[in-house]
Amino acid sequence: MTRLVKPPERMKKPFLIFAALWLAAAVGWCDGYPEKLDSNTNHLLEPILPAGAGANLLVEGDYPYYGNVPVEMRPYRNIVPHFRYWLTRLPFRGPGRDYPDPPGLSSLKIGLLSPPNYGTEAKRGELSRQGVQLAIEEANAARRPGELPFELVERADSPQWGSAANIAVDFADANVLAFIGTIDGDATHVALRVALKTETFIVNCSDPDPSLTETQIPWLLRNFPDNRQHGYLLARLIVEERGLTNIVVLRANNRPGRMGVRPFVDAVRRLGHPVLQEINFKEGERTFETSITVLKQAQPDAIVLWGNPAETGLVAAQLRSAGVKAALFGFDRLVDPEFVRLAGLAAEGVTAAFFFDPERTDPVWLGFVARYEKRFGQRPEHYAAYGYDGTKMLLAAIRKVGPNRYRIHDAMTSIDEYQGVSGYMRFDGRWDNIAPIVYAQYLGGKWHYLPAPPAKSTQAARN
Amino acid sequence: MLGLQLAGGPRVRSAETAGPDLPFPLIERFETYGAAEGLPGHKIQCVTRASDGRLWVGTYEGAAVRENGRFHLISTNAGLSHRMVMCLVEDPRRGDLWLGTMRGLNRYSAGRITTYTQTDSGLPNNVIYGLAIMNDSLWVATAAGLGMLELKTGSWKIYDHNNTVMHEPWVYAVKSAGDRLFVGVWGGGILEFEPANGIFKEHRDPDRDMHFDLTPDDGPVSDVTSWIAWDAGILWQSTYFGLSRYDGSRWRTWQEKKSPLPSNFVNFVWARGPVAWVGTDRGLAVTDGSIWANYRTTDQGTGMLEIAAPGRPVENRRMTTALPNNFIHGIWVDDHEAWLATADGLAHAFLAAPRTAGKAGDAKTNPATPSFGRN
Repeated sequence: MTRLVKPPERMKKPFLIFAALWLAAAVGWCDGYPEKLDSNTNHLLEPILPAGAGANLLVEGDYPYYGNVPVEMRPYRNIVPHFRYWLTRLPFRGPGRDYPDPPGLSSLKIGLLSPPNYGTEAKRGELSRQGVQLAIEEANAARRPGELPFELVERADSPQWGSAANIAVDFADANVLAFIGTIDGDATHVALRVALKTETFIVNCSDPDPSLTETQIPWLLRNFPDNRQHGYLLARLIVEERGLTNIVVLRANNRPGRMGVRPFVDAVRRLGHPVLQEINFKEGERTFETSITVLKQAQPDAIVLWGNPAETGLVAAQLRSAGVKAALFGFDRLVDPEFVRLAGLAAEGVTAAFFFDPERTDPVWLGFVARYEKRFGQRPEHYAAYGYDGTKMLLAAIRKVGPNRYRIHDAMTSIDEYQGVSGYMRFDGRWDNIAPIVYAQYLGGKWHYLPAPPAKSTQAARN
Repeated sequence: MLGLQLAGGPRVRSAETAGPDLPFPLIERFETYGAAEGLPGHKIQCVTRASDGRLWVGTYEGAAVRENGRFHLISTNAGLSHRMVMCLVEDPRRGDLWLGTMRGLNRYSAGRITTYTQTDSGLPNNVIYGLAIMNDSLWVATAAGLGMLELKTGSWKIYDHNNTVMHEPWVYAVKSAGDRLFVGVWGGGILEFEPANGIFKEHRDPDRDMHFDLTPDDGPVSDVTSWIAWDAGILWQSTYFGLSRYDGSRWRTWQEKKSPLPSNFVNFVWARGPVAWVGTDRGLAVTDGSIWANYRTTDQGTGMLEIAAPGRPVENRRMTTALPNNFIHGIWVDDHEAWLATADGLAHAFLAAPRTAGKAGDAKTNPATPSFGRN
């Protein structure tokens, strides 16, 4: 049922947003890389257009514009900007394609930058690593006479900012042909800047940070659908499919949380329904009473959670205990047994954007599941699948063009589509996977995976 | 000299022919240096001429100093902390040369190298992108913050997200500008820092979206800064999204196709008076913001000069010599010569004398800069 926001309620929004920001400042500025109020005051305030306002539909270019953002969710959609980026792919114009192969090679080295083997990302990092490892083992087992084996050079990141930069230099010193990694957006960003200088290609299979590929460095391909795809899908589900318009966001107060919800927050604002509150919680927080008290003032009908299951599971449970009946939505990390365990009965009805249906029964997926289970004794999930696919893409490129970093770059950056165990991939002008994702609903004690509905109000930006 | 008219194409002349009055000297010819001339590698990252006249070159395979027409190698065997030399700066008061590498900072003093790393000094991170000297302090742009070394005392101070307005501590360029510093922050635009007062000011892209630039000339063209330069009161910002200039009150921005800037991918900018020397992945651009002289090497290896001035047709001139590569990492310029660090060799550019009353280094005597037509 569509709930129309009445004028008096609209007038409350600025106050509620201010209150949420104040609360975020009061409770959240304690983490390692805290958020700050912006000291720069010259930024433009994007106008909130009424729902259904017209758009400039035509965007020239070779690829779907900016993550295939739906027309109605484009920023300033009724204005032609002075300059649009990523309409064509940025080439690497430096030399190197004709360099001779390194002499005396006994293996083809691939770097793997993983999260620390402790902390919140350790488990996901290990799953991704196993996917990478399986792909390399299979490629080595299938190599033909005369072909060199692949060798994995593994390094674990540390929580210290800049650690990944040093590791990226280590990879260059080890003469890796390319490297894979990692989950943390900041670490991947830092490594990518080094990769630009060392001219070493990165395949990213696990970082959802939308800003990763916004730095215009043509040395990275990401097969992991990022938080733009999740955010756009959630915006459509909440506003267009369910007609919910009083939206509150509860998210982790860290860089992934800040960057992760941004596409969603922007999308619903552009649909005419700005988020009423964006409330932060700290990693490790266990009680959310203050946040929930503030949140209830907004009388939300939809609450979007972004964070790890250890917190979001408790948030869900405590929201229901506090009598909040709003529908709960979230990002992929809700689709996790820990979330279900901690949320308890509150998990029922939760909807989350997700990557692909892991209960698919096509032979490609089932074959991968079987091989992975045989090798590692557990069922694979999406981190393993994207790690496997990304590595397969890279290894195929190396086999095709040989041990030359520049030709590997060209082979990787010429990929438009790929069919992997995770499913169909389609890459845009920044080499991000923009293939449609799915969503998951927890009903009757089980996650159900459903295809994304078509955009309701307008067509997608480009086909 | 005879001009050549290509069928259906732009007018092409030899580089020596007269053209419009220019506020900067044109390059007459290039000479190229590589491994055959004693450089340790062909990928050149940075270059600077010290006050004693020696030329310092940072390559991907070590540093080199040119004395008496010969390059002398300074490698990891000599104590350099890493082979990839990213940046160079001279401390004119002491005569020391500082080298930033991919793994640590190095001071070259009287033939000896002293190294500084994040584990044995106050260096914020081993990956060093930029260096600047301000009086008796060395400023180091690293992948994890801005470091400041007091050269008199040897003490360090780190500037990062904890004690500045920068949101995240990735710093990629630093430039001293009289009583202040400009700091290029990845995703954070430019920080203007007055050390005497401890004041930080942010310069950010107003539209805040990376996938478009909403309006021109409204601020930095992007928050992702690749390099900064400053001279004569004018700040230049290079980015991979175009070029920006700030004169203290007004911003100007340039992007490829919307202006004569040859590419949005700008690695480096050097300021000389009111003129910027711009290193892109499609050659060298020299501009005062109004008139442009763009140098590139064609696929056939021919040097080409393109001159663009408001109200005039673009003029193309063929050169007798060419850049060794169009991918330019670093630049050093004075009134007579320019040195260009390219991805395939070091170029020495010989400059013709400027033909107008304006001269480099004197912003006031240069002609006004009419705005370039937007299309």
